[in-house]
Amino acid sequence: MIKTDVIIIGGGSTGCGIARDLALRDIPHCLIEKGDFAAGATGACHGLLHSGGRYAVNDPEAAAECISENMILRKIGVKCVEQTGGLFVRLPGDSKRFRDMFLKSCEETGISTEVLSPSRALDLVPNLNPSLEEAIKVPDCSIDPFRLCMLNIISSQKRGGEILTHNRVIDIIREHGRCVGVKVQEESTSEVREIRGRIIINAAGAWGDKIASLAGSGVPMTLSKGSIIITNHRLTNMVINRLRPSSDGDIIVPNEAVCLAGTTSITVNDPDESEVDPAEVDVIATQAQLMLPDFGNTRLIRTYAGVRPLLKADGGDDREISRGFRIIDHENGMLSIMGGKLTTYRLMAEKISDRVVEILGLKTRCRTAELPLEGQEELSGYPLSKRLKTLENIVCECELVTADDVERVAMEIGTRRIGDIQHRTRLGMGPCQGGFCTYRALGIMQETGKMTPEESMQVLREFLQRRFRGIKPALWGDQLREEQLVESIYLGILGMEQEQ
Amino acid sequence: MSGTYDVVIIGGGMSGMMAAIALTDMGRKIAVVSRGDPVCCLSTGCIDVLANGNDPLEGIGSLPDNHPYHLVGKDAVKASLEMFKAVMSEEGGAYVGDAHANRRILTPLGRHKVTCLVPGTMEFADFHSDEYIHVISFNKMKDFYPNYITSNYKNAGCSIFDAGISTTIGIAERFENRQFLEGFISWLKGLDIPEGRIAIPAVLGMHFAVDVCNEISVELGRNVFEIPTLPPSMPGLRLFGALKNALLKRGVDLYWGKEIYSVEKSGSQIEAVTLAGAGRSARVQGNAFILATGSFVSGGLHASMDTARETVFDLPVYLPGKRKSWFNDDFFAPGHAIEKSGICVDQSFRPVDTEIDNLFVCGSILAFSEVMKYSCGHGIAIATGVAAANVCGEPV
Repeated sequence: MIKTDVIIIGGGSTGCGIARDLALRDIPHCLIEKGDFAAGATGACHGLLHSGGRYAVNDPEAAAECISENMILRKIGVKCVEQTGGLFVRLPGDSKRFRDMFLKSCEETGISTEVLSPSRALDLVPNLNPSLEEAIKVPDCSIDPFRLCMLNIISSQKRGGEILTHNRVIDIIREHGRCVGVKVQEESTSEVREIRGRIIINAAGAWGDKIASLAGSGVPMTLSKGSIIITNHRLTNMVINRLRPSSDGDIIVPNEAVCLAGTTSITVNDPDESEVDPAEVDVIATQAQLMLPDFGNTRLIRTYAGVRPLLKADGGDDREISRGFRIIDHENGMLSIMGGKLTTYRLMAEKISDRVVEILGLKTRCRTAELPLEGQEELSGYPLSKRLKTLENIVCECELVTADDVERVAMEIGTRRIGDIQHRTRLGMGPCQGGFCTYRALGIMQETGKMTPEESMQVLREFLQRRFRGIKPALWGDQLREEQLVESIYLGILGMEQEQ
Repeated sequence: MSGTYDVVIIGGGMSGMMAAIALTDMGRKIAVVSRGDPVCCLSTGCIDVLANGNDPLEGIGSLPDNHPYHLVGKDAVKASLEMFKAVMSEEGGAYVGDAHANRRILTPLGRHKVTCLVPGTMEFADFHSDEYIHVISFNKMKDFYPNYITSNYKNAGCSIFDAGISTTIGIAERFENRQFLEGFISWLKGLDIPEGRIAIPAVLGMHFAVDVCNEISVELGRNVFEIPTLPPSMPGLRLFGALKNALLKRGVDLYWGKEIYSVEKSGSQIEAVTLAGAGRSARVQGNAFILATGSFVSGGLHASMDTARETVFDLPVYLPGKRKSWFNDDFFAPGHAIEKSGICVDQSFRPVDTEIDNLFVCGSILAFSEVMKYSCGHGIAIATGVAAANVCGEPV
């Protein structure tokens, strides 16, 4: 049994941010995550560090939070934020009235803007649709959500925070009507453990209502599925938004060597409902092509969907729901934190940690906005020169990941999951989507004794199914060629067959 | 370089090359135009004819009526495979196997793959699971992990040789060196391997691996065989190299690494294609044309969101509905519907619904060939390549 002060449920950006905040205030805590870090909406977003521009007109409060957090995160997280800047692009037919409202609202919320002529915009992003009317420059950034979570966790681990990934909360222990702990179950061993704490924070995002219900409560939420597609090229160095009211396919974000384009918004009932429909891909790809015409000639290497945990609203479009957040005190020892955005994760963590401090009768103050994220100096980032040094043993040719990288990460985090390796090395994130390197990474893992050949076969089989599920909705053009090759490798050369 | 030919073959893969061989044997003057090296280089080098059942030729009868094997017929399929074997023997890369019998080869995952004709280096790759097998691997070779195989057999061992290089092609190049081979053989002799077979990933030389494999077998007094690996696949590269050599010997003009950028037509005839080259463009004129550009993976077909086109002549393409119906949910379920896509032809391999009458189509670009579902890729290429050649080479 583990005893602590605060139990945090959820290893998304909010949960990881709370762990860092509490750590910096020297408050003992334990974070529980059912998968890997950033496994929910955090990792399934488009990696945009909002300037707030997208919300300026309809949701000024959220917009103001975004711009202030944006300025903090670019300072404290230089290694996970890329200061790309963003453009809101007005295309022929897009409302001039909305543009005026946009500029006015940005001014009111403190988001800096600069109106650019088409030729100035094309200087910045040569791939833009040359028939654009104008573009408005805003301080959008690109952010790596997985890296962000990892860096937050480092602060917690350095100060004795207990971090349990791949552990699912199966029960909340209540005594005399108060929540006093949780029961968790480890994913692969099925071992059940008890963790006791004084306060439980429900930061489970889209799974928040399910967690609250274990304590006999509930949290009012609207679940909204958003789908995203990934290109194999970085078609723009700036974030590109469409200057019109929020709608499907209005954003393209550069990230490392690729671009992410999204999104859609479909109300769902189940947080695990994250299947991408080919029709969503068609809408996003068609809309993205209007902003960047080359999008139509670019390979789409993957699709994915995440479920946004939005504050509950009555009826209407999910896009109209505020991106603001709310803290709910269930008055039984559990606090839930709901809504919000990746961009405002730090602020959310600050507010709920302030509540914790108040409840515990302490006086420590939040320091997360002043101190840079720890562990950034050790991040290799993506310098090609470093990776090319060990060219001889490259196992992932798309992302230049070496056999040593795979071995090191596998040993370091003691993982038996290929996804954990992928998140930490970018293995399999390139055009072949792990078609070649996963077989190799698993081969290495079983050679180092991390798993048996039988286990690794099972992991490979599951990986290929999951990979295909992500690729299938956007499978045409050159990606279809690649896919037929991968199919011929696994079914033709390696002789993997359907399970009987 | 420009020229006039009896037949211009577009596509330098298995079906195009086999068509070229068949036509030169009929005395025709042939050109082969190819955008680059074909996908057979990425294959196991094995000739899959039809995986269902023990006798692939008999199995043809149970295929759907629209399968292209029916256009060829069982006897002609068999004859084309014999022709292939004869060519490969001439080129020093003899294949073994009987068109009437499927056999199994060992895969790098310790599974078995059903195929029909195999390179001589895989003659002993089919064995009983209680027989001892000793797997040889190479230090840091990234595409081969022997534990997958040894863990599947209760009677297996493994040894690792340091070739001083870890890439498939790099090791294969070393085996071309006499001294290296002798060093490898004496290392093997020193291992005291128990009675049984010796399995080696497919790196036994660039061209004449059958000889290398035989030499090791004789020296060790054991049955030695190769296990095909992920691309770059030596057996696939050797297969391509041997067939290309056979074309050159027969005086076939090869226009390699060139894209077609225009097609000249006159009435119902295609007259010439113009190729974009690094330097001067070339005009290749022919009395007849064979289209052997393969399916999506080879670039013969190109899919957009919900449509597909044939990339050289813009022929009508059969497509199984919209994208939503192209794929199964299960990656491992054999035969996604998209595999049915391709060009529909008549009994004489001419594309239907066009007015062109001097164009013939063969290989996996043929509609309904479904090469993954039936595991018949190289078989369809060889059979329809030779069959299309026979029709188009007939004196008018």
